[in-house]
Amino acid sequence: MQHKDLRRASDARWGLLLVAPTIIGLLVLNIWPFIQTIYLSFTNAKRFGGASLIGFNNYVRMFSSSEFWQATWNSIYFCILTVPIGIFLALLLAVALNSKIKGKVVFRAIYFLPMVVAPVAVAMVWNWMFNSDYGIINQILGGAHIYWLTNSHLAIISCAIVSIWSAIGYDAVLLLAGLQNIPKTLYEAADLDGATGVQQFFHITLPMVSPTLFMVMIMRLMSSLKVYDIVYMMISETNPALLNTQTLMYLFYRESFTIGNKGYGSAIAVWTVLLIGIVTVIQFWGQNKWVTYDI
Amino acid sequence: MGRKIKFLSILLILGALLLTSTGCNSSSDTSSGGSGNLTFAIWDTFQRDGMQEIVDLYHESHPDVNIEVQVTNWNEYWTKLEAGITSHTAPDIFWMHTTYILEYADAGILANVGDLFNPDDFSETALACAKGTNGEYYGVPKDKDTIGLIYNKELFDEAGVPYPDANWTWTELSNYSEQIYQKTGKYGFLAYNDAQIGYYPFVYQAGGYIINEEGGGFTDPATEKAIKYYVGLQDNDWCPDQNYFAQNSPGSTFFSGEGAMFLDGSWNLKNDLTDNEPMIGKWDVSVLPKCPDPPKGDGRATVSNSLTYATTADNPNLDQVKDFLEFLGTEEAQRIQGTTGTAIPAYKGLENTWVDWFKQKGYNVNADAFVQMFDYAQAMPNDQSKPSWQTSVTATLSQIYNKDLTYEEGLETMQGLVDDAMVGNS
Repeated sequence: MQHKDLRRASDARWGLLLVAPTIIGLLVLNIWPFIQTIYLSFTNAKRFGGASLIGFNNYVRMFSSSEFWQATWNSIYFCILTVPIGIFLALLLAVALNSKIKGKVVFRAIYFLPMVVAPVAVAMVWNWMFNSDYGIINQILGGAHIYWLTNSHLAIISCAIVSIWSAIGYDAVLLLAGLQNIPKTLYEAADLDGATGVQQFFHITLPMVSPTLFMVMIMRLMSSLKVYDIVYMMISETNPALLNTQTLMYLFYRESFTIGNKGYGSAIAVWTVLLIGIVTVIQFWGQNKWVTYDI
Repeated sequence: MGRKIKFLSILLILGALLLTSTGCNSSSDTSSGGSGNLTFAIWDTFQRDGMQEIVDLYHESHPDVNIEVQVTNWNEYWTKLEAGITSHTAPDIFWMHTTYILEYADAGILANVGDLFNPDDFSETALACAKGTNGEYYGVPKDKDTIGLIYNKELFDEAGVPYPDANWTWTELSNYSEQIYQKTGKYGFLAYNDAQIGYYPFVYQAGGYIINEEGGGFTDPATEKAIKYYVGLQDNDWCPDQNYFAQNSPGSTFFSGEGAMFLDGSWNLKNDLTDNEPMIGKWDVSVLPKCPDPPKGDGRATVSNSLTYATTADNPNLDQVKDFLEFLGTEEAQRIQGTTGTAIPAYKGLENTWVDWFKQKGYNVNADAFVQMFDYAQAMPNDQSKPSWQTSVTATLSQIYNKDLTYEEGLETMQGLVDDAMVGNS
C-alpha cells in the first residue's frame, strides 16, 4: 500500500516537472501581464509608467465615449460579417476538397496560401485592387466609381472580405481533417439505404464534423473580435471612413502606443476580454444544441 | 463540476492570451556589454547609407568600437523604442523626433548631452528641436529641413503656365492649378490632410500659429483663414479629395504624372529622385507660395523640423556612447549628411554641401530652394502635450474635411483638445 502511494507521489512530481516549462511560461508571459493590465486600467499610467490609481475614471471616460461604442459595434459587426459567411464558405470548400476531384493537392495548397502570406502583403495587394480610381475591381465593374475603402458603410465590408479570403484556407484545412475522420462505412450504409448526397451531408457529414466546426467557430469569433492588422493596414489615419471601421484593438493600439495612454488603453483591453468572454460563454452554452461528440 | 472548471480555465487562458499585448512587448535588441558593440536605431531607410558612412568614419579612428545601424519604420520605431526603454534594452544611440523629445526628456529618459556640442555651431531652429521643457539639451542636433513645392515641368509646359517662383501667392497656386486641370485633365495642387507637409506652412504664412505658451492657436483668425483656404482646396475639381488621398499618396500621384504640384520635405528629395528614375529632369522644386493678404506678418513661411541623436540616461556604456554622440555633432560627421545627399546638416554653414550633392550627381533640381527658405522658416510647433492631442486633432480635421463639422465647430474642438491636453500635462 505504502509503496503504491510513494510511487504515485513520485509520478505526480514528475508530472509537475514536465509541465513546468509551459506553466511557468504561461504565468510569466500571460497570467502576470493579464493581472498587470487589469491593474493598469485603474491607473493613469502614461508612456513611461508613473502610474497612480484613479479608480474607475478610465472606465467612466470609456463608457461615455461615443467613439468607443462605435468601435465596439464595429468589432461586433465585423464578426457578424466574417464568421458565418467565412465558416460556411470554408465548409463548402472542405467538402469540395474531400471529394474525388483531380488535382486535390494543388487546390488545397492554393486555398491555404493566403494563410502563409504576411497580412501586410495581403492588405497591400487588396488595397490596390480596391482602389477606387485605379483598382482592378472597379475596372471589372465597367469603370464604376465605388469607394470600397473610404465609404463609411462599405469600408468595413471590404475589410471583412479580405479577412474571409485570408482565413478561408486555414479553416478549410481544419475542417477537412475533421471530414477525413468520418468513417467511410457510414456513407456506405447510407448509400445502401438510398440516402441522397444532400441527406448524407446533413445527417452524416454535418453532425460528424460539428466538433471541429465548433472549434473553428470559437477561434474565428475570437480573432474577428480582436481584428486589428487588416484594418490598420487598409484604413489610414485620415480615411473618411475611419470612425466606422476602427475596431476595439485599433483603438487600444492607438491609445496605448501612439498616444501613450496606457491606463485608458488597458481599460479597452479589459473590456474586449469581457466581450470575448461573454460571446464564448454563449457559444459553450449553445454547443449542447448542435455539437455531437458521440456517434 | 469538472466541466465548469475546465471551461473557466479555458476562458482565463484565452483572456490572458489577448491581454499579453500590453504587458509583454519584448524588444529584440540585445543590450551591449562593455565589448564595444553599440546599436544605432533610425527610422528612415533612405538615410541608412548616410548613417553607415558616418559610422564607418568613426570606426576608422575607433577600430575597437562596432556600431550597428538598425532601421525600423516610423510607426514600429516608437513602439519598439518605448518597449526597449521600459525594459532597459533600448538601442544605445537613436534618432529622436520633435514630437516625442519633450515627453521623453521630461520623463527623465534621455541623457543630458549639453556638454557634447557647442550650440553656437548649430542653427536656431535645430537647437529648438533638441531641448527639453527645462531648456537643457537632450539630443545632439542632426539635421534640419524645410517644406518646398515640387512641380511637374511637363504639365506646366503643356498648360502654358509659368513655373512657380518666389512671387507666387495662394492666388497663383489656385488659379494655375485650375488652368492646368482645364488644359491637361491632370490634377493641379495635391493638397491633402497632413500637418507638417500640409496645413502648418499655410498657417504660418497667414501669420497664425498652432500653439504657444498659453494654448492652442486654432481659433486665431489668421490660423482660421489658412485652414479654411487649405482644406477648401479640396472643393475644387483640380484637387483630389480625402477619399482619393486615403488610397493614393500625393507623392505617388505626382510621380505617376497625375498631378502637377505637391508639398514635400527636403529630407525626401534624394529618394524622390532615386525612387522615380523615369521622372528625373521632368520636375523641379520651388519655395512655397506666400499668403497674399496675411492678417499678420509678410505672408512668407515654411516649417523647419530637426532630428536629433539621443541616448538613454541609464545606458550602461554612457561614456562610450557619449563619445560617439560627440562625434556625431562634429563638423566632419555633419558634413557627411550633406555630401551623401542624405539630409541638410544642422551644423551652420554646411547647407551647401547638401545642395552640391545634387549638382554633382547631375540632377537638375533646384535643391537650393529648400535652403533659401531657412531665412523665414518657423520651427515645428511643439509642446510636451503634443503626443496626446496630435491624433485627435488630426481626427477632428478629418471631420471638417468630411463636412461632419463646420470650420467653426471643428476649429473650436481642435482648440479645446489642445488646451485641455496642455492643462492636463502641466
